[in-house]
Amino acid sequence: MSQANLHIVRETYLREKPVFPFCKGCGHTLVLRKLDEALDALQIPPRDVALVTDIGCIGLADALFATIHTVHTTHGRSTAFATGIALADSVLAERRLKTIVLIGDGGAMIGLQHLVHAAMLNVDVTVLVCNNFVYGMTGGQGSSLTPEGFITATTPNGNVVPPIDLCGILKNSHAPFVARALATDRSLTETIREAIATPNFALIEILELCTEYASRRNRLGGSDLRDLAEQNGWQLGQIVKRTDRQPYFSRMVPTNGQEHRWEGRRIEAIQPPTHALRKTLGVVVAGSAGERVQSSAAVFSEVALGEGYSVTQKNDNPVTQGTGFSLSEIKIGPEPILYTAIEHPDVLAILSADGWREAVAAGWMERLGSDSEVFLDEDIPVDFNGAHLKRLPLRRMFGAEWTAMGLLTMLGVKYRIASFVDLLQAIRVAFGDRAADAVKTGYDELKKNEAVS
Amino acid sequence: MIAEGAVQAGCRFFAGYPITPATGIFKGMVDMLPAQGGLALSAPDEISAIAYAIGASLRGIKSMTATSGPGWALMTESVQYALMTETPLVITLVQRLGPSTGGATQGAQGDVLFAEYCTSGGYTIPVLCPVNATECYTLTILAFTWAELYRTPVILLTDKEIAMTAERIDDDVLPNMTAQERLTSKSGSAVGTYDFDFPQEIPAFRPVGGLEKVTVTGSAHDKQGRLQKNTPETLEVLKHLEEKIRWRENDFCVVETDLQKGAESLVVSYGVTSRAAAEAVARARADGTKVSFLGIKSLFPVPRRAVARALKGIRTVFVAEENYTGLYRSVLLPLLGGTEVRGINKVGSMITPQEILAALSEPA
Repeated sequence: MSQANLHIVRETYLREKPVFPFCKGCGHTLVLRKLDEALDALQIPPRDVALVTDIGCIGLADALFATIHTVHTTHGRSTAFATGIALADSVLAERRLKTIVLIGDGGAMIGLQHLVHAAMLNVDVTVLVCNNFVYGMTGGQGSSLTPEGFITATTPNGNVVPPIDLCGILKNSHAPFVARALATDRSLTETIREAIATPNFALIEILELCTEYASRRNRLGGSDLRDLAEQNGWQLGQIVKRTDRQPYFSRMVPTNGQEHRWEGRRIEAIQPPTHALRKTLGVVVAGSAGERVQSSAAVFSEVALGEGYSVTQKNDNPVTQGTGFSLSEIKIGPEPILYTAIEHPDVLAILSADGWREAVAAGWMERLGSDSEVFLDEDIPVDFNGAHLKRLPLRRMFGAEWTAMGLLTMLGVKYRIASFVDLLQAIRVAFGDRAADAVKTGYDELKKNEAVS
Repeated sequence: MIAEGAVQAGCRFFAGYPITPATGIFKGMVDMLPAQGGLALSAPDEISAIAYAIGASLRGIKSMTATSGPGWALMTESVQYALMTETPLVITLVQRLGPSTGGATQGAQGDVLFAEYCTSGGYTIPVLCPVNATECYTLTILAFTWAELYRTPVILLTDKEIAMTAERIDDDVLPNMTAQERLTSKSGSAVGTYDFDFPQEIPAFRPVGGLEKVTVTGSAHDKQGRLQKNTPETLEVLKHLEEKIRWRENDFCVVETDLQKGAESLVVSYGVTSRAAAEAVARARADGTKVSFLGIKSLFPVPRRAVARALKGIRTVFVAEENYTGLYRSVLLPLLGGTEVRGINKVGSMITPQEILAALSEPA
């Protein structure tokens, strides 16, 4: 692609005789001229440059460039859009696009996380922060980069909030290239050139004048910028230049470069469905988080799928992941299942005190039908009697971790969804030998007690 | 299945931020995309996530992000940017209980209007709403096709009960679908970034970084992409943004119609609730009650013709949806003149077939 651009002979980047829409003396004009000089020095084909502009006066800059790609974005988000462009350029494996962001001090703060993350990722984006200490386009309000004592439209008695040290933040966000300069610096062109040339993330904070709002109110002239920087402890010049960081994408792609077609997790029906189950069976298993309720339900569901049934599994838990109850609703039937929740459970299995509390709280006890079977662990200290209640020492027989799997295995055999051997094999594949042994031992023990019919 | 559909559709860029119940899609993309030479990455927030995805699409890669209500709230500024800049993008919005952080692990259908009417300016954004895992696959592919064909953001609106419920899918009946490839302009042609001859026309896409200069802006612009205030050409571009969708509204119609001859009641539903509705309709018919069913999968643009067709001979329309105020019912209302309209609404848990049956048998 770059070769195709070779025939484009020496285009300037800025329009010929550009009419800058900025106030007289505004630093933006200086910055754009120096950006143009830097691009010129690099001799980058114009179509290999994407200029991403933010909102505010500096956001008007895109219209001044005739030949490069321009993307005018929303306030503060320019760096994030630029990051997306740069990442996609890496994905396309062309790695030629130079993405440059123009943003003001207001945009730098509202979009600070985008600057920080672009630096962390280390994408090939160069950010020029045009810091004139105020929101110029909206009438000179104070920003988060306004120095203390500064008079602005919103700090008429002088700003009392200390400004952030943007370069310091970026330095501590692993940005490989950080510099601070004055718009009037002769060396700025060279700094911009270097920043663009590096394949890394680069940020230059450029201190400049907003003649309309900052200069007049604060008697700030071009020659005062250096003093202002010194008073505020803002280090000028190159602050970080690291070569030890690799760009994000180069650390992400598989090195063998082979394409793999993802095949999904396919479950083939083991045998033509015989469907011992004639109607849909609704099973609710309520236990404790961390005791493999949902993952056991998934294994059980997959076995049922393999037998040719339609199956749905719907889980519930509190917003936390490792505490409180854990519940699965499983529907298994010979016909496709439309409604995935269970109105009246055929089987309600309560495996722990957490499960009991949830079963009560969520109204499962009231939704039992006259034929509903209830399995309740023997050790849950509750007083409950029902027509089809079975109190079994499930936790003691299977161990807490495998109670859900053990119970579901019992149900699988009982309702002739799958054979014990097939269920055990699935458990072995999913959870290993220890789980399969625990389920087998528990199952045999319960059978001895004639609890399993 | 949404992630699989996206990969099948040629999506090669995903940026996400963890949020229940949309995290599974994020994880799926992280697992699948690298092997396709694509990239799925963690953004530091939802604003970054969608901006990364839009940036990638501007560069020329099909991209997607996924979120839930609270994250959607942060994304809407950028959704508008995608709309204004005619950037193809698919956003999966997995609804959960609101308002605010609501209930992360509870389903809901409360973001229907929040999704559609997120733009300042009131433009039509196509919204697709799958009812099961198979449709999560097929409608995701369709969402990419629409995004590419019409240069627009497309919302895939689902909810916790669809996105986090496992169910059987028969591989053999999954259609062998592919999505539309991006339509790009011929290189060397001297057209602007947003050029069209008549307002309904879709401008050919040109990538940032391609051989022709592109000028992209989220501000009002002319056909070249140059920022302008209300010049006639700029107003034409603003009209075009709506016209390109509105003019084709019949092309966006995806519905499931199950009409019964002689029925005077019609149940309308979408998403997870339409499963309960379909079951309720089947049970009602088994009891000898005549009732028709309309399941809407393309919520926006509203499938007017399909609704009109389903209304023949109908006296009462029941709109079942999992929100209090009847969000989609309010959209359908102007189309249901001459019928009695009743809402079947609930929040906190799925509407049951029994609740729909009860509503059906309530006296007028």
